[in-house]
Amino acid sequence: MAVPILQMFTVAKYVLTQKLKGVERYPLVMMLEPLFRCNLACAGCGKIQYPDHVLDRRLTPEQCWKAAEECGAPIVSIPGGEPLIHPEMAAIVKGLVHRKKYVYLCTNAILLERKLDEYTPSKYLTFSIHMDGLKEEHDLAVCRDGIYEVAVKAVKAALSRGFRVTTNTTLFNDAEPERVRQFFDAMMELGVEGMMVSPGYSYEKAPDQKNFLKRERTRDLFRRILHHPKKGWRFNQSPLFLDFLMGKKDYQCTPWGNPTFNIFGWQKPCYLLQEGYAATFQELMNKTKWEQYGTGRHEQCADCMVHCGYEASAVNDTFGSFKGFTRTVQATLIPTAR
Amino acid sequence: MSDTTLDSSGRCEARSYRPTNPADLAEALERAFDYRGDVTLELRSGERIEGYIFNRCADDPSPSLQMYLAGDSTPRRIRYAEIVAVMFTGEDTASGKSWEAWVKKKESDRKAEADRIAADARARGHL
Repeated sequence: MAVPILQMFTVAKYVLTQKLKGVERYPLVMMLEPLFRCNLACAGCGKIQYPDHVLDRRLTPEQCWKAAEECGAPIVSIPGGEPLIHPEMAAIVKGLVHRKKYVYLCTNAILLERKLDEYTPSKYLTFSIHMDGLKEEHDLAVCRDGIYEVAVKAVKAALSRGFRVTTNTTLFNDAEPERVRQFFDAMMELGVEGMMVSPGYSYEKAPDQKNFLKRERTRDLFRRILHHPKKGWRFNQSPLFLDFLMGKKDYQCTPWGNPTFNIFGWQKPCYLLQEGYAATFQELMNKTKWEQYGTGRHEQCADCMVHCGYEASAVNDTFGSFKGFTRTVQATLIPTAR
Repeated sequence: MSDTTLDSSGRCEARSYRPTNPADLAEALERAFDYRGDVTLELRSGERIEGYIFNRCADDPSPSLQMYLAGDSTPRRIRYAEIVAVMFTGEDTASGKSWEAWVKKKESDRKAEADRIAADARARGHL
């Protein structure tokens, strides 16, 4: 199993508690963006196109901890920008771990080896390494040669020092299923705990507008990648989300599942769309017109199948129906049954 | 020289608007909110402020926006009613970087651009 049992138990307990309390909308993973500055300029990224004085702004550790407490989600994912650029990132992580949050620090790994000494291995801390494929595909996606090898070296260093390490992969419409399967083999051989995979999102601001996946193309691509999964593959995400990507399940988006906090505040309505900002988490939850978002409700949501909207839907299915629960158990215990 | 109506092409960089009614002003500010560069606002007081508009509450009884001015740590809130002109003075950081443009570039230009980004990151101590 890619997700440790204790973490699964924590998430299950949290979700069931929300359901027992009758909470209709609850966050599952908080997306914390402490800065937008990055040391790469990937063609598919819509997060870094800002004036310099905005890129130089950062959240303080106190702002990060307060937001995590306010949100209450059991998991905090830290993307960016590149989080390891933030000079106080180790302190931010330490404070979140102290609060018993499961932290996924998403990094391109360029600075990881240099910064490892600042971190302590913990069951609550995972380095989630951005890997978009084998060397050729990854270096092309990040628009710089040599980054795949840097990341592989950093993964090995982190694993050797006892850190939890996963990979996160965004797939574009030029992905070759067989190459992706080879990439999964390579990552598992490296020894990572699990892999996370998601289709790309067509950021309005991202330079690469041609290569994002349309829904049917997405399903077809993921069917070809994930059918007959190899025994050794482990995914650090809901098995029902993978079913969804393959077209075996159909979900509506859960935009409040992964609320996003950054230097501008709480982003409305989700990690991908920027329709404005709320000053507090409660304001985000209470004042966002959630019914306007999701497939068939908003033009910018039409082709989106990204994890930040649909993984929470999959988790809700697991705990919301007997069928969903039994399918999750089956896919967790027998991952090759797909 | 400012225009009174918005350019239908959607291109904003280096353009100025001096709307003549609240609806046009609201539309200009919506574009400014969507713009990934700095914007200069001319206020009724005569003051000109330049910064990045990251939020707006266009549906409030008294519509307002929030912007970060370079060098200020806290955002400034400005009511729409105070604004008389909108100027897209900063570089549109999302413009001219399409995948097509990237692919069309000569290999030497792509390498030069990648090297420039890497050099910038190195100079900041981010590599």
